[in-house]
Amino acid sequence: MTRRTKSLLLAGSLFLFGSCASDSHDSKTHDHSAMPVDAASVMGEPDQPITGPQGRVGQFVVECPFSHALSDDPIIYPGDAGASHLHAFFGNVTADADSTLESLLDEGTTCEQTLDTASYWAPALLENGQLITPEKSIAYYRAGLGVDPESVVAFPAGLLMIAGDAMATEPQPTSVVAWSCGSAGMRDALPPSCPEDRGLRLDITFPDCWDGKNLDVAGHRKHMHYSSKGECPTTHPVPVPQLIFAVAYPVHGDASHLQLASGSLLTGHADFVNSWDQEKLEDEVALCIGRDIVCGVTSGRTSG
Amino acid sequence: MKRSMSALIGVMLLGTGLVACGGDDSATTSEAPGSEAPSTDAPSTDAPASEGVLNVPADYATIQEAVDAAVEGDLILIAPGTYNEAVQVTTNNIIIRGLDRNTVVLDGNFELDNGIRVVGANGVALENMTAMNYTKNGFFWTGVTGFRGDYLTAWRNGDYGVYVFDSVGGVIDHSYGAGSPDAGVYVGQCYPCDTLITNFTAEFNGLGYSGTNSGGNMVIVNSIFRNNRAGVVPNSGSYELCYPERKTTIIGNLVYNNNQPDTPAIDVALLAMGNGILNAGGVQNIIERNRVWNHNKTGIGLVPFLEEDASDVMPEKSAWEMTCAESKNLMPVQPEGPLLWDSQENTVRGNVLEDNRRADIAVASAGSDLWTLANCFEGNTFTTSAPLDLETLAPCGTPLSKDTGDWTAGDLNVITWLIDAETAPPSVDWKTANLPAIPVLDSMPDAATAPGVPASATPPAIDLDAITVPDKID
Repeated sequence: MTRRTKSLLLAGSLFLFGSCASDSHDSKTHDHSAMPVDAASVMGEPDQPITGPQGRVGQFVVECPFSHALSDDPIIYPGDAGASHLHAFFGNVTADADSTLESLLDEGTTCEQTLDTASYWAPALLENGQLITPEKSIAYYRAGLGVDPESVVAFPAGLLMIAGDAMATEPQPTSVVAWSCGSAGMRDALPPSCPEDRGLRLDITFPDCWDGKNLDVAGHRKHMHYSSKGECPTTHPVPVPQLIFAVAYPVHGDASHLQLASGSLLTGHADFVNSWDQEKLEDEVALCIGRDIVCGVTSGRTSG
Repeated sequence: MKRSMSALIGVMLLGTGLVACGGDDSATTSEAPGSEAPSTDAPSTDAPASEGVLNVPADYATIQEAVDAAVEGDLILIAPGTYNEAVQVTTNNIIIRGLDRNTVVLDGNFELDNGIRVVGANGVALENMTAMNYTKNGFFWTGVTGFRGDYLTAWRNGDYGVYVFDSVGGVIDHSYGAGSPDAGVYVGQCYPCDTLITNFTAEFNGLGYSGTNSGGNMVIVNSIFRNNRAGVVPNSGSYELCYPERKTTIIGNLVYNNNQPDTPAIDVALLAMGNGILNAGGVQNIIERNRVWNHNKTGIGLVPFLEEDASDVMPEKSAWEMTCAESKNLMPVQPEGPLLWDSQENTVRGNVLEDNRRADIAVASAGSDLWTLANCFEGNTFTTSAPLDLETLAPCGTPLSKDTGDWTAGDLNVITWLIDAETAPPSVDWKTANLPAIPVLDSMPDAATAPGVPASATPPAIDLDAITVPDKID
C-alpha cells in the first residue's frame, strides 16, 4: 500500500509546490479569478456533513495549537510575503510565503503529533480588525463517507489543497464550510451564538479524491474532488483521507459582528500542504483508516 | 475520559514495591535503541533460543523489527535497555515481554506518540516493561478482541497510561499508571467489555480510572487509586459511541487522597477533582466493599454528567442491553440541546468511608427527582451523606419514593462544581509535572523462561464474593 503511494508521489514530484506560481500568482494584481466562483462546480461537494459521535469509523486525529499569523499565503501568493489577507497558521512553525515542501520538512510543529509537520491555515477571525487568537486546530483524518477504507492511500508529499471559497458571497454548503459550537453536530453557514462552556468552531471539509497526477494545478483545485455515494469520480480516481479541519476559537455569545480576514463570515476556507513526515502519514493511513480502526479521538484539553 | 487498581492480597506486592521505592533513577538510561543493555541484576538474558522466541536486541535491533518479523504465537523478549520507539502491532496473538519491568524502558522522549499501540490485532499480550514520556499513551489497544497487560508501568505520558478503546475481552493486571492528564488506566467504548482490571495502581493522574461508555462484565477490583485529581470516574457521553456507561463492577479497591492539586489534568479532571469514586451518568453499576477516604468532595458520588455539545440523543432504557457492535450502527440524531446523563439504578453497598468532606456518600441530579433515579445505598460505613440520611431514603431492594423522607435536606448542588472547576489549581504540563520518583515495582516472575501465552478474550474468573474491604495503607 505504501509503495503504491510512493510511486504516485514520484510521478507527481515534478510539480514542486509553488511551481505553478505563474498560474496563480499574477504579479501584484492578486487576481483571484483563478478561484472558482462556485467551488462545487469544480470539486463537487460531500453528500452530507459528517457529524456525530467519534468512534464509528477508522480515523486518526491531530490537534495543533495556534502557531502564528501572517499575511502570507504559500499557495495563492508563493514568494510574495504580505500579499494575502491575514491567515492563522497551525502545525508547521516555519510556514510563510517562501515555504516549499523541502523547507517545511523536518521543521518544528505545534502539533501534539510531532511528526505532523504539515501546514494548515485558515483566514484570521477578526474583531474590530484585530486578530482573535485561535486556541487550536483539530484535524480529523478518515475515509470519505461510504468510501472503502482499504482503498484510501496517503496524500502524496507536497500535495496542496484548498477547501471552501474565500470569495463566497452566499452561504457555502455546510458539508464543506460550517460553523459550530464545540464538537456538537449542528452545522451552520454563519456562526451561532455559543454558550460559555464550548467555543465557536470553523469546520472545513477537504476533498477526498485525487487525480493521481498533480500536487497542484492552476487555480489549486482541479486536481482534487469530493467523493459522492462512496465513490471517487473517474477523473479523480485515487481515494485519499478526508481531512476535516476544525479551528477552535475562544468566542462565546453573539459573533455576528466578527469578520474573517478574507471578507464576511461567509468566506470560510482553509489550506493544507502535506509536509507530514511521509512515512508516518502512510503508516497512520494504512493502520487506522485502512484497517478501519479508531487510532484516536480528540483530547479533553481545552487547548494543546 | 477524553473530555475524560487493586488491593487485596496483591496489594502486598504492589504496596511493598511502592513503599520501598527510593526512586532508583538508574533504571532509566539514555541509551539509543539497540545499544548495549545497561548492566543490571535482571533475569538472565540468555533466553531460550527456541523456536518462536525473538530476542531484542540480540536477534533484532529494535522491538519494531522483532514485531514485524513475528508470527502468531511468537514471544518477543526484550533485554534491559532504553528503547526510543513507538511500536505498532498488527499481528494477532503475539506476546511482547520485557525481561525486567523496571529496566526495560520504552522512552518517547516527549516526541513519539505511543509506547506500544496494538491496532486491530487480537490476542496481543504486553508484559513486564515501562513506557514513559510518550505524547499520547504508554500502552494502547484499539479495535481488538482479546488483550492482556501484565506488569506494565506507564509513567508521564501525555494522554493515558494504559488505554483500551473499542476493544473487548481482556485483563490489565499488576500494572501502574502515573502522570497522565487523562486517566492512569482507561477502558472505553465497549459493551459488553468482558474486561478485568485488577492489581492496578493509578496515582498523580488527572483521573485514576476513566471509562467512557464502557460496561458489561467490566470489573475493577483490588486496585489502588490515590493522589489523582479524582479517583474512579466512569461516565456516559455521546461524544463517543456505545452510551450509556453501564454495568461496571467496582469492588475491593483502596481509593484515597484524590485531591491532588499539581497533576496534569484534562478539563473533566478539574471538574471531578476531590472525589473518590465519581459515577458521572453511569447506570446499573455496582460499587461495593471499597475503602474510600480523604476527599474534599464526595467519597462515592452518583452525579449527573452534563454534556453541552452532545452528538446524539440519549438512548431509551430499552436500548441499554444493545451491544456496542449493534448500537454503533444506529444513525445519530442531533439533539435540540445539552444532554443530562443522570446516574441511575446504581448500587452502593458495604463500602467503608471516612473523612470525605462534602459527603461520604452522595447522589445528585440536576432536575430529576432523586427517588426516580433508583440508586440505592446499603450497609455502608459512613458518617455523612447528601442528602442527609441517604441509606434510609434510598435502601436497596425496595422501590424508592418521595415518601421515604426528606430528599432535599443537605442535598448536593453539583452546579457549584462548575464554578469550583474555574478556580481549581490549573492543569500542570504533563511533561514537567512534579512527580515522585518512579517506583521500582515487582517484575513478572520467571520472565525469561515462562512460556508466552497469547491473550484470551475471556478474562480470568474472579470470585467477587470473596473480596473483603481492604485494609487501610499509608
